Amino acid sequence: MPKVNLSVDGKKIQADKGAFLLDVCRDNHIPVPSLCHNEALGSDGRCRLCVVEVRRGNRTRMVTSCLFPAAEGVEAITQSANIALVRKTVLELLWARCPESDEIARLARSHGVSDVRYQKDNDKGKCILCNLCIRTCESVVGVSALGLSGKGPVKKVTTPFDEPSETCIGCGACAFVCPTGHIQMWDKEGVRNIWGRKFEMAACAKCGTHFAPLYQLEYISKTSGASMDRLRTCPDCR
Amino acid sequence: MSQSPLPFNYPLSTELYAPRLIPKDEFIVSGHRACQGCAEVLALRHALKALGPDTVVAMATGCMEIISSPLPTTAWAVPWIHVAFENAAAVGSGIEAGLKILRRKGRIPDKDVTVLACAGDGGTADIGLQALSGALERGHKMIYMCVDNEAYMNTGIQRSSATPFGASTTTSPAGKVSIGQATWKKNMAEIAAAHNIPYVATACSSYPLDIVEKMRKAKAADGPAYVHCLSVCPTGWRIPTEQAIRYGRLAVETCVFPLYEVVGGRYRITYKPEKKRPIGDYLKGQGRFRHLDEATIAKMQARIDEEWEKLQAKADRS
Repeated sequence: MPKVNLSVDGKKIQADKGAFLLDVCRDNHIPVPSLCHNEALGSDGRCRLCVVEVRRGNRTRMVTSCLFPAAEGVEAITQSANIALVRKTVLELLWARCPESDEIARLARSHGVSDVRYQKDNDKGKCILCNLCIRTCESVVGVSALGLSGKGPVKKVTTPFDEPSETCIGCGACAFVCPTGHIQMWDKEGVRNIWGRKFEMAACAKCGTHFAPLYQLEYISKTSGASMDRLRTCPDCR
Repeated sequence: MSQSPLPFNYPLSTELYAPRLIPKDEFIVSGHRACQGCAEVLALRHALKALGPDTVVAMATGCMEIISSPLPTTAWAVPWIHVAFENAAAVGSGIEAGLKILRRKGRIPDKDVTVLACAGDGGTADIGLQALSGALERGHKMIYMCVDNEAYMNTGIQRSSATPFGASTTTSPAGKVSIGQATWKKNMAEIAAAHNIPYVATACSSYPLDIVEKMRKAKAADGPAYVHCLSVCPTGWRIPTEQAIRYGRLAVETCVFPLYEVVGGRYRITYKPEKKRPIGDYLKGQGRFRHLDEATIAKMQARIDEEWEKLQAKADRS
């Protein structure tokens, strides 16, 4: 990979050409906040929290660092009055969208936002449309049970046609990756509830603990070739 | 203080895909000299992944110190200082105060640096207890992590006050007149919670996602945080090395070591076994407990049941 020379906050840095600025900053211990970035899933430019100012020649502009490729001679600034204003506005808007989210509230307060001046939404839950769950389902789990539906104010993450998905395996990876805790998943009396679908949980053949959705075990058996007899015993009893 | 983003308690099935989503950077790297099957260094590795690169570690003498820093090598990819047995918490709080002043004076960049003070059960429950209590009382914004392998393992398995009842160690040997350790394990998490600090949690080396989540919360806490991590030690517990993860899970499933957190005084059990296993499942196969008779096991079961009931009552009240 060819190297390029750039500077971030006046610090001279050598980075791989084309590496995204957010990764370059974090590799060099320069903190940049973000909500929609995950190392395993890459960048999506959704949350707009990672904005930085980039100067090339005489031109300065505000960019999302998670999608801006490192190039020769780039001068980036991660802290300035302008950047602070943009981040505060983004957080205030996210807070207005998700007034219930403790994580957004904490982040907003730490950036100096004390209150929301906009009208608060009450139908969005804690979802900030970061797409992490959709990307996880697609590239980590490999089933693509989730997607975005609608446009503008009614845009939301959901299963196709808002109906219980046939492809969802009930693994819960989306609930794990969700930065705000919007995705609800709970196990009760041998049934897992997630995305409006009920999954029958497999009881361990030896100890009887309900440890994973039956449908997920079948999926694993199908993709890995492991026998169902082996999978039906929980890892603690194997 | 952020609440848990997860409405559930890390069911097993989550552990299939979610591990691919935690940070890939390593801050305690391979090549250290931990025993085969050491789950303590595993717990530490996951804890550091959650804290990230901007972390300073103050570590008391103990297993994790000797295995990670035999001169002239080091396994640490973050600033790390070895301190005496008793003062990990004191040094941690000093680092925190020093960083605060340097930031205020503009001598270092103005960014959050996490301070982790870390010690074993001996360095926490026995020797470092007063320094820890002082640091928690002063309200330093730091994390104290106790990696508890239930005895002084690196010096040759001597008992500590965190050694469980009935365990045979070299200074509490089981024999004709002794059943091994004759006192009950000191409940360090409750002692920390009694300081009314923002965050206290118990974790276990066999539940890595839980450790990552709890360390993230500890990092976000507005003040001192205490994480007590049961770390399985195949050498000292006299179990086969490949069974380390299994015995950690059994400790939690039998409720010998329940996983819970105390956020601002409110208790929440983070892993509730669907069916509580009998304590015998956990004791069986561990060399340190192999001398125990049925009557002693029944006595231990009664004590574990009582403590579990008490904890559930606290969680229900919160």
